Amino acid sequence: MRDKRWILPTILSIALVLSVVWGYNQLTDKKQLQTNLTNDYQRLFYDAKKHVENVQVSLSKALVSESREQNVLLLSQIMNEAYFAQDKLSQLPVTHADIAKTEKFLTQVADYSFSLIQSHLNGEEITSKQREALFKLQEGSANFNSELSALHDKVLEQNFTVKNTKGKQKKKLEEANKKMFATSLGSIEKQMGKAPELIYDGPFSDQEINKKPLGLGNKKFTQSQAEKVARDFLGNKKIDKVTSFEKGEDISTARIPSYTFSILPKNTSKEMAIYIGVSEVGGKVVWMANPRGVSNINISPKQAEEKALKFLKEKGYQDMEPNYSLKYDGTILFNFAYKQDDVTIYPDLVKVKVALDNGEIVGFDSSTYLMNHKDRNIEKPSLTKEEARKKVKVDFDIDSIRLAMIPKGSKELLCYEFKGKYKDSDFIIYINAMNGKEEQILQIIKDENGTLTF
Amino acid sequence: MKKKVFIGTIIILLIVSIFTFYEPTKKQLETSASYDYYQSSRVLYWGSRGQDVKNVQWKLRNWKYYDGKVDGVYGARTYRAVRRFQKKNGLKVDGVVGESTARAMGLSLGTTSRAAARKTSTAGINRKDDVYLLARAIHGEARGEPYVGKVAVGAVILNRVRHPSFPNTIAGVIYQPLAFTAVADGQINMAPGKDSIKAAKDAINGWDPTYGCTYYWNPATATSRWIWSRKVVLKIGKHWFGR
Repeated sequence: MRDKRWILPTILSIALVLSVVWGYNQLTDKKQLQTNLTNDYQRLFYDAKKHVENVQVSLSKALVSESREQNVLLLSQIMNEAYFAQDKLSQLPVTHADIAKTEKFLTQVADYSFSLIQSHLNGEEITSKQREALFKLQEGSANFNSELSALHDKVLEQNFTVKNTKGKQKKKLEEANKKMFATSLGSIEKQMGKAPELIYDGPFSDQEINKKPLGLGNKKFTQSQAEKVARDFLGNKKIDKVTSFEKGEDISTARIPSYTFSILPKNTSKEMAIYIGVSEVGGKVVWMANPRGVSNINISPKQAEEKALKFLKEKGYQDMEPNYSLKYDGTILFNFAYKQDDVTIYPDLVKVKVALDNGEIVGFDSSTYLMNHKDRNIEKPSLTKEEARKKVKVDFDIDSIRLAMIPKGSKELLCYEFKGKYKDSDFIIYINAMNGKEEQILQIIKDENGTLTF
Repeated sequence: MKKKVFIGTIIILLIVSIFTFYEPTKKQLETSASYDYYQSSRVLYWGSRGQDVKNVQWKLRNWKYYDGKVDGVYGARTYRAVRRFQKKNGLKVDGVVGESTARAMGLSLGTTSRAAARKTSTAGINRKDDVYLLARAIHGEARGEPYVGKVAVGAVILNRVRHPSFPNTIAGVIYQPLAFTAVADGQINMAPGKDSIKAAKDAINGWDPTYGCTYYWNPATATSRWIWSRKVVLKIGKHWFGR
């Protein structure tokens, strides 16, 4: 009896010691993690500031410089530093709403610099408009930088740690965030909002984001008309139910404003609905997806390609040429490009996915085609095939040559397309058919499932 | 009696705490198992080509199942040889080299092709890692959504990559602080389901049910006041999408 009496206290005290040790370890672990995280954030912040400083300095140098070589070097520095700054800024623990415009500013500074480098290399002089834009950017980055300096002082003053921004309670966190970053970065945001839109040719430019579709025509479609288009598109399928997705008031800002339907074929479960989007203007099917699974493979890629071509003809897409294909999940995806006067028009791209069990079309996407398709006047190339061949690396092992239209920024360029091999890797090289410039190089990655370009 | 209850409670507490420690490791295992499934999901069948087929032919020829050339083309002879091999080894006789047949041959399909690819200048370039990361994000954010809702979430992430206001890589967008709740609370580390992987592939291949949206939110759970100032383009499932 006596022996048993001290068993419990012993166990309890052991448990106590254990839990204290455990707790202490947890505490030190937590502190360690906190310090690491703080250091990380500190570094990101200091780096972002340094990069913005460099952008600002290089921009003012570029404004002063008269030499083209110097300008190219400075612009490439600006591009680098701006991307770095954007990258680091986007890793800071701030809500996106507080830094969206700042990030956009930095990305566009980088993108704009890149487009200026290109025009420099083409031998074009900087226009007065571009100079003005550079000046505005310089002003913007100077403003930004002074705000960052102010923030930096505050950070030092309050000994910015994760504890401040990542407090235990959510409230604390929110308050701290508001105090530290949001106010300062928020005021930068306001100024960034005033910055004028940059007009230039690059993937991140405003004109590229706000691009409107060219290939739709102008006839407006009502919802019931669009629903009929969707039903017709699926052919003779027996349809059980059609539901329309609800649109919001901002639908007009969509890339291609559309009606979207979910269509339930007869005798299928609810998850097997087919989705389809029909444009409000022009009543074109923008995309279609049938997520059904495929278990047995009965047809070959060649047969699938024939089915896809026949399907495209039925839907009014004439003169389409299959280019790349990719096999996955029992389906095969073909990229079709439009062909006009024996020239492959890559911007007019339609994707068709065929199920390899019965050859049914289970996916369709013509958004790229609808964005870009227009009546084109294809000029005669001023270079011959042979002249263009001379512009390609001598030991590039060529398999095929043809004419193609490729997108570059907002422009379309007529090029000779050289497909071939260099040191066991596949490439496509595009030589401008008008002036012989090497416009683009694509690397092709092939495996048994298909082809990808990078 | 009271003591026993007390000791019992302590033991239970200890066991419970042990389990809490074990949980994360278990989760990690699940993720990697699903990754294996995803990586080795390629199978060899009639018409396949490449180094993997060569390896299979090589093995089969050494074991006298196959008497043709080791040319990396999966033809009739290879097909018959594989069937003979499967019959002898008590495998399902289907003439397809899947995971179990490959294992019986002592081959691993995924890794050999990676090793072969290392020689060229395209070494290691593929979209598998992008697809898998995107699939995890989709699974964390929208696993309860219908297929189209999953593709839509994937498309929003990819639209952000192309937008100047956001980071320029898929990982950059997904891991941007405070951008996605599923990333903040670790749900992104769960193993993605087959549906999410499929949706990720479709999104990467260009399907975009949102027509270029860069935001979405769930009106039932959204806490940010800012998000309510956004205008809706489209509603898909539980999510509202905006630009």
